[in-house]
Amino acid sequence: MTSGFMILILLVYLGLLVGAAQLAERKQNSKWTNNPYVYTLSLAVYCSAWTYYGSVGMAANSGLEYLTTYLGPVIAFPAWIVIMRKIIRISRVNKISGIADFISLRYGNSRTLGALVTIIVTLSLLPYIGLQLKAISETFHVVTRTSDAGSLLGDTSAYVALALAAFASFYGTRYGDATQKRRGIVSVIALESVVKLFIFLLLGAYVTWGIFNGFGDIYQQAQAIEGFREKTSIGGLEGGFNWFFYCMLSLFAIFLLPHQFLMTVVENNREKHLQTAIWLFPLYLLLCNLFIFPIAWGGNLLVEGGANADMFALLIPMQQGQELLAILVFLGGFSAAVSMIIVSSIALSTMLTNNLLIPYGLVRSLSGSPDTNNQRIVRSRRIAIFVIVVLSYISYRYFLQSHTLVSVGMVAFLVVAQLAPAFFGGIFWRRGSMRGALYGILAGVAVCAYTLVVPFLLHASPSGFDSDRWTGFLNPLALFGLDYLEPIPHALFWSLLVNTSVYLVVTVSRKGNYRERNYAEMYVDIDQYITHHENAFIWRGTAYISDIRKVLVRFLGEEKSSRALRIFNLKYNIPPDTTMADARLIKFAENLLTGHIGSASAKILLQGVTKEDKISLPEVLSILEESKENLAINRKLRATSRELEEISRRLREANQSLIQKDKQKDDFLDTVTHELRTPITAIRAATEILHDDDDIPEPVRRQFLQNIISESDRLNRLIDKILDLERFESGRQKLMLEMIDLTDVARGSVEPLFQLIRSQNISLHWQTANQVMVMADAERMVQVVTNLLSNSIKFCKKDSGVIRVGTHVADGRAQLWVFNNGPAIPDAETEAIFDKFYQSDNQTTRKPVGSGLGLAITRQIVELHQGSIRVENQPDGVTFIVELPIFNADEKNTDS
Amino acid sequence: MKKRHVQKLVLTSGFLFLGLNLPLVLLYDKPEPVFGLPAAVAGIFLIWLASVVISFAIFKKYDD
Repeated sequence: MTSGFMILILLVYLGLLVGAAQLAERKQNSKWTNNPYVYTLSLAVYCSAWTYYGSVGMAANSGLEYLTTYLGPVIAFPAWIVIMRKIIRISRVNKISGIADFISLRYGNSRTLGALVTIIVTLSLLPYIGLQLKAISETFHVVTRTSDAGSLLGDTSAYVALALAAFASFYGTRYGDATQKRRGIVSVIALESVVKLFIFLLLGAYVTWGIFNGFGDIYQQAQAIEGFREKTSIGGLEGGFNWFFYCMLSLFAIFLLPHQFLMTVVENNREKHLQTAIWLFPLYLLLCNLFIFPIAWGGNLLVEGGANADMFALLIPMQQGQELLAILVFLGGFSAAVSMIIVSSIALSTMLTNNLLIPYGLVRSLSGSPDTNNQRIVRSRRIAIFVIVVLSYISYRYFLQSHTLVSVGMVAFLVVAQLAPAFFGGIFWRRGSMRGALYGILAGVAVCAYTLVVPFLLHASPSGFDSDRWTGFLNPLALFGLDYLEPIPHALFWSLLVNTSVYLVVTVSRKGNYRERNYAEMYVDIDQYITHHENAFIWRGTAYISDIRKVLVRFLGEEKSSRALRIFNLKYNIPPDTTMADARLIKFAENLLTGHIGSASAKILLQGVTKEDKISLPEVLSILEESKENLAINRKLRATSRELEEISRRLREANQSLIQKDKQKDDFLDTVTHELRTPITAIRAATEILHDDDDIPEPVRRQFLQNIISESDRLNRLIDKILDLERFESGRQKLMLEMIDLTDVARGSVEPLFQLIRSQNISLHWQTANQVMVMADAERMVQVVTNLLSNSIKFCKKDSGVIRVGTHVADGRAQLWVFNNGPAIPDAETEAIFDKFYQSDNQTTRKPVGSGLGLAITRQIVELHQGSIRVENQPDGVTFIVELPIFNADEKNTDS
Repeated sequence: MKKRHVQKLVLTSGFLFLGLNLPLVLLYDKPEPVFGLPAAVAGIFLIWLASVVISFAIFKKYDD
């Protein structure tokens, strides 16, 4: 593979990244860039070139310890729902843009602490970024079979570094506000995470099944490797202790590494995305680790001795003549390294500018127009990115040549872990103080330097580290004789012990500061202040809104500042003509500025235009207590108001239902009166004629008398039905339950109506089962079938009427159905037809004759039997279906 | 998500801490291979996978 060809591939790949970033920036709100999967994949920046090459090297040389790099995060992930959610909330409401801002703001917005954190993190991360450049350079030479020419101009990684710095500075610092989401960068990192995982799995599958015959085969063959048992074991109790500390180290790293903080916290735009990350990210890491052993052992078995085990992932496909796979693996490793370089340089540049450069110098000179100020801030971040990348490159070229990928990464993790006591203490312990944090971190870093960095640097020096010269309890690798821990766990143990002790002792032995305590309260109880966090800020003094506004305008511009202040006034119901600012506005303005210039500089600028009065700590505590009580009362009031709303909603519903029932009652009375009056009028008319006219011919007189009798019968039937219905509705109707066959009942009910059916030329069909046993009142069931049949006779087509009656068992329920080929019932009326005296508005379904009570009574009877009735429109008619609980059934369809 | 279910996740972290560290990790650090992997690695991978499944199941079932 020629170098020129590889450079061409790299250029194409970088071009693709630029294209992806450009597309994502253009589609800021698209679901393709704003979803939990992209967020989760962007967290995989954690898997740098160290994972890609270093883990394999470590698995091949020393064994299982590489796994601990992932086990710490895996242990922490489920608890992220509490810890990380809290961190994200704190950062969101305070507009925090990096780990240094997060820690310094908690400890009273301390400029010193912010600067210290920035310096420590930057110094530890530079070699780690250098490590990624080293990986790119080494793998480039492996895949092109060239050697390092030694000159700067001939080193490809130098050009790659510059290209990446240009990419990061363009897409990472587009906005003056550092908390503005960088969709382009996030999408590119997510894309690279997919690329690196896919290629690594491809390589793993090739080694496992392409070269060997599965996991078992490799394991069998690998047993011949020297020290195989030791390399596949945790190493007893001693190894177990090292294991524990390594796990702790990576657990801290997943929270504290600045690039990880940037991706997880600052770039999180929906808290809910965390839920997906909690299960998907460990799955991603598991897949990354699945083939590390086969590749490591495969390398040991296949690659000639003396080769760098870190390069096994590349050497295996090359040795097998798989040039394409080798190029892909190189690209995968390149992706892993590139992700880390881009994100780290952005995170560090933001910290360097917001926590060091601006608060310690630039802040005074940012007095021009908003555009000029923003340009200066963005330019300073861009320069910082180039400086970081160049320094990383120098560290790789001149200090890291003789170290493995893992060792440098571990040192970076270790130094960053020194932030753990201040960080976790800050979010869970109200009393943790700035001085405690500051001295603790300094002491921890000093112990790290003594126990690790000194031997590490001496090891890199030409004379090397001579352990014989360091005997006794001051031996940096076995302090106080603690000689059973490896250098990294040893340094972690002592440094964190000293760090935490100093943090705790200094905190409890000094009087607290009111400002620190104020921020502590906001951090620890963030859930209480999430919506109105400005309320938690305690400040007393004199400040004019116009002065604060002027400061805001310097960075946000006229329009944005006005809009922000308008929103603030609306949120807290403040009249627009107010002149004096209160604590809430100070905090609000501080937040707005923090994103642009960092919290320390925001504080400095606001201090310049306000006059703060001193408040004592007890006063702050009592105000906070009061504010907490107010919040609790507010919450209670809100809950009570919600309950009242619910009760009034139910009352409204009940009232509505009562009005409806009242109307139904009126309608019912109207209809009953009308229905009763019709036969009475007919009887009265006939009786009057008979009474007034004695000369009526006999046949006519008989006809009148017959009318009187039939109308009286109708009246009687109507009254019977009304009484029936009333009995059912009031629950006074008793059922005489017995086991009956629904088919028998159906057939029996037809007989009295048979003549009527025949006289109207209706054809009747049966589709009944042999026996459909139900527990029911036989007489009432006859009434049901009769009502349904009468209804069907009334509605089916004149002259070509068809009625079908059927019984069967379906879904464990007995069914009786009656079909007629009459007009369809509108969907809106399929329920209403079972109401008393229901008369359809639709003339085609208007009941031609009858009391209007038949279907209502039918429903009452069916429901009293724990059954149900419904009507279904068919293509050629209407079917009424009655369902009853089954007793026993033997289905056998017959058709007559 | 209700507090009770959040606590389930925190508890999962607690169990992972115990299961993947001293002294329990030594219980499955045996010389015999499992699925062609060292027993310790197979055990760790299984616990790892279980944590993924448990977290996923908790979110799937109890997410509001």
